[in-house]
Amino acid sequence: MKRRQFFKTTGGISLVAGSGLESLLMNLYAFEEKANLSKVEALYYKKHSDREIECLLCPRYCKLGDKERGYCGVRENMGGTYYTLVYGKACSINVDPIEKKPFFHFLPRTNALSIATAGCNVNCKFCQNWEISQVRPEQVEHYDIPPSKVVDLAKKYSCPSIAYTYTEPVVFYEYMYDTSKEARLKRIKNAVVTGGHINPEPLEELTKVVDAIKIDLKAFTQDFYTSYVRGELQPVLDAIKIVHKSNVWLEIVYLVIPTLNDSQNEIQNLCRWIMNEIGPDVPLHFSRFFPMYLMKNLPHTPLSTLEKAYKIALAEGLHYVYLGNIPSHRAESTYCPSCKNKVIQRIGYQIKKIELKEGKCKFCNNPIPGVWT
Amino acid sequence: MASKVVLIRGKGVLNGDGDIDQKRLLSMYTRGIQALLNQQNPKENLLLLFRRNDKVGIKINTIAGKMLSTRPEVSLSLAKLLSGSGIQEKNIIIWDRTNRELRAAGYHLNIKGSGYAIFGTDTRGVDYNPRLISHLNIGSLFSSIQSDWITSSISLAILKDHGMAGVTAGMKNYFGTIHNPNKYHDFNCDPFVAELFETKLIMRKHKLSILDSLVVQYHRGPSYHARWAEKYEALIFSLDPVAADFVGWQVIEKLRAKKGLPTLKEEDREPTYLKTAEKKGLGKANRNEVKIIEEEA
Ligand code: SF4
Repeated sequence: MKRRQFFKTTGGISLVAGSGLESLLMNLYAFEEKANLSKVEALYYKKHSDREIECLLCPRYCKLGDKERGYCGVRENMGGTYYTLVYGKACSINVDPIEKKPFFHFLPRTNALSIATAGCNVNCKFCQNWEISQVRPEQVEHYDIPPSKVVDLAKKYSCPSIAYTYTEPVVFYEYMYDTSKEARLKRIKNAVVTGGHINPEPLEELTKVVDAIKIDLKAFTQDFYTSYVRGELQPVLDAIKIVHKSNVWLEIVYLVIPTLNDSQNEIQNLCRWIMNEIGPDVPLHFSRFFPMYLMKNLPHTPLSTLEKAYKIALAEGLHYVYLGNIPSHRAESTYCPSCKNKVIQRIGYQIKKIELKEGKCKFCNNPIPGVWT
Repeated sequence: MASKVVLIRGKGVLNGDGDIDQKRLLSMYTRGIQALLNQQNPKENLLLLFRRNDKVGIKINTIAGKMLSTRPEVSLSLAKLLSGSGIQEKNIIIWDRTNRELRAAGYHLNIKGSGYAIFGTDTRGVDYNPRLISHLNIGSLFSSIQSDWITSSISLAILKDHGMAGVTAGMKNYFGTIHNPNKYHDFNCDPFVAELFETKLIMRKHKLSILDSLVVQYHRGPSYHARWAEKYEALIFSLDPVAADFVGWQVIEKLRAKKGLPTLKEEDREPTYLKTAEKKGLGKANRNEVKIIEEEA
């Protein structure tokens, strides 16, 4: 991702206690506001009496009076009508390898035009993009890019897919939904990278217009979700089941954080749940944690912890288990569960070799699930 | 020792059209500050709290539009009292999050460098200080006005019912100093209101709470609903930020009871953050340790 201009520059002035107000004022050249937000009526909300509304998009069900914004900070009640403020207002737009999301069984070796708006409906203490996810839209620079322009850009940069990523696409649902519909008309696929905090109805609708969803499962205990995510585990598990039942390709990522969600018991419970509810074919990525945002007090995840998780998942019967953020590790590659040969060789985000033929292992003809073309 | 809270009623401070009688307002301020600080000369009173070279922030609340924001007359009268005590006008800033909200509440913005400064954090060149402040459950960027410019702060808040917090008053007013207040509304804003207040940037600078209770929204807040807004014509003063809000809460409960509304507890939105604040030693939130002095100006 390119370096983002998160906050307005101060034009080189320093605002120091003890300096006169004049020095501050001399440098203020306008009462400019970074307003320029969208005012597009939101989907999925209920109107109540007294200009109150209730947002039905995610499991927070924010109930808001006039002039208030939801927890995500990007939806506002204006006089009893609920609006999204970020429709067509991308604060980040880049061309990324699809492997970076990570999607390992979805259009490998291609680029995705990747976009985000400000905002998120949880507040993970380890967020790596907090400068854009944990802010209000007026606090970041953004570009005016309506859905049709996003699709044009994807074409221009030869991206066969558009990824809705970096922050939490659920909070820019309307923008993502309309862009996905337009993209499909131009034969461009859509990939969503989400924490899975979304209610069943909007998710089911979304699965009708997108092609792949990666869900970040942050832990397998509600305690962790309460303390470090400020969210709920159950709706995320429900979202995983809904995506699995749809025609949309699903991958799961689990960021392994030392001492907080890395116990053998928790990893085993997670893998057993996946086996029971989803089956062995969903790719499961264990990612290495690096200290950041509000969680700088912990070390990065030891390789041994990740390798233990990897072994547990394989022992529980999962077919496609990966380790992330450890370039050159053998667990970055895909192995055929039948003949055990390496069918996709990866190093970091690079694909070195693909040994698939029409979605089947070249060595033994075993089908490898995914969206390959 | 009990915390003192002064509640000054000013019958007639709002005329039939809701306009403010400035003289009456000024006498409410004078009386309130005298009663709070036990000094006869109001000029000297304020110098018990502020130094002449202080840069004083008057943090107002303009989120709910013209009908339910700290009115310009209310904040400017306070600014006049401050400058009357020897603090330079140019070192007094009346501020909130955004210029849009300030304008909508009737303010004329001023960045001229003379007179009282009036502007929002979103003024180009001001903004949030990019240093992330982490304290217990809080992780936020603070307005440069709060973090870098002012040396002392007055929370001049509107007293209102709040759908999530139960009550919003002097302490919660500081939600307007951070970039992500929307992240702190879970669990009736508890412990977030107390924890935010406890950060050094707020606690060390906060000197005085004044609750603008001229019109009190006692139900369906924090937005304005004429049906549940009472012309209460009072100002509440305290050096104890928790006690001030505790008394504000009692006012709201009384108005609710008078109108036959359930208590905030019955509606599952008791402002429990006040107890949390008390436990942290930030002030008092119980009847036995809050001494209320109620007077008519
Ligand atoms: S999408 Fe935003 S406004 Fe809607 S319920 Fe979730 S956090 Fe609240």
